[in-house]
Amino acid sequence: MSQNNSNETADFGFKTVPRGQKAALVREVFDSVAGKYDVMNDLMSLGVHRLWKREFLTALDPRPNYTLLDLAAGTGDITFGWLKRGGGKVVMSDINAAMLSVGRDRAAANGYLGDIEFLVADAEKLPLPDASFDRISMAFGLRNCTNKDKVIAEARRLLKPGGRFMVLEFSRLQIAGLSGLYDAWSFEALPRIGQIVAKDAASYQYLAESIRMFPDQETLKRMFEDAGLSRVTYRNLSGGIAAIHSGWRL
Amino acid sequence: MDNENTSPPLDPRLLEILVCPLTRGPLTYDREHNELISAKAGLAYPIRNGIPIMLVEEARPLAP
Repeated sequence: MSQNNSNETADFGFKTVPRGQKAALVREVFDSVAGKYDVMNDLMSLGVHRLWKREFLTALDPRPNYTLLDLAAGTGDITFGWLKRGGGKVVMSDINAAMLSVGRDRAAANGYLGDIEFLVADAEKLPLPDASFDRISMAFGLRNCTNKDKVIAEARRLLKPGGRFMVLEFSRLQIAGLSGLYDAWSFEALPRIGQIVAKDAASYQYLAESIRMFPDQETLKRMFEDAGLSRVTYRNLSGGIAAIHSGWRL
Repeated sequence: MDNENTSPPLDPRLLEILVCPLTRGPLTYDREHNELISAKAGLAYPIRNGIPIMLVEEARPLAP
């Protein structure tokens, strides 16, 4: 069921694949890594992803009267951080049921089930009505979407006026002198760690490649603006290894 | 098939806000089959372990 023009393509890491196939390929990656995803994130980022997520949560500004749609919510770090800081009700959405069930088990273990609703959905085609949320977050998810413009347009549609869309994602390192080290880490070390811990080098090779294919800070900023978001800004984290992008629906 | 009797029911709060991802039209809950029906799209979205799977490619086409 996709309007698959067979001559249209999408990037899958450094490979080019038919556009209609990307979602299934990404799903395989996350089916494979779901059980080890949290421990792998710690290893891959040397724990720094926790600091980035903390920055991201502060920027999201959780409040009891705000509702959150957490896209690519996966194993739940953003949702749980939001609730822990006093944010209001959350819809946790992910395209991958395996990732989301890890998230639900964690929610149950932490006593958060009453504040969260779970949803398997495609961020390009969300089954939710217009103007429903005060905040929409997407941490390390946009990179894996086939049509990123469509995801940003959906986020704008679902925001209430005055609501804010925030994306935490790997970005472009801004410190030229570090790029050799960063490349070695991404393309030599990560797949090997993936092989040892998750028994799956290919998936982590994909993750490293997909980071390099993702639009840089200025390009993603323009994509937010083109989708009709206002006051679009970004902030680099760890010298641009990751960045927080933000746009408002006004 | 995979709608075991042990499957928890759908959260009613979520049912209130969900729409069909294809048509953005309303959904009705088929309790017997544990599916969400989009009459406009002619699709039934499964609910697995209490979580609605709102993916067009996972939905069951309804007989016309």
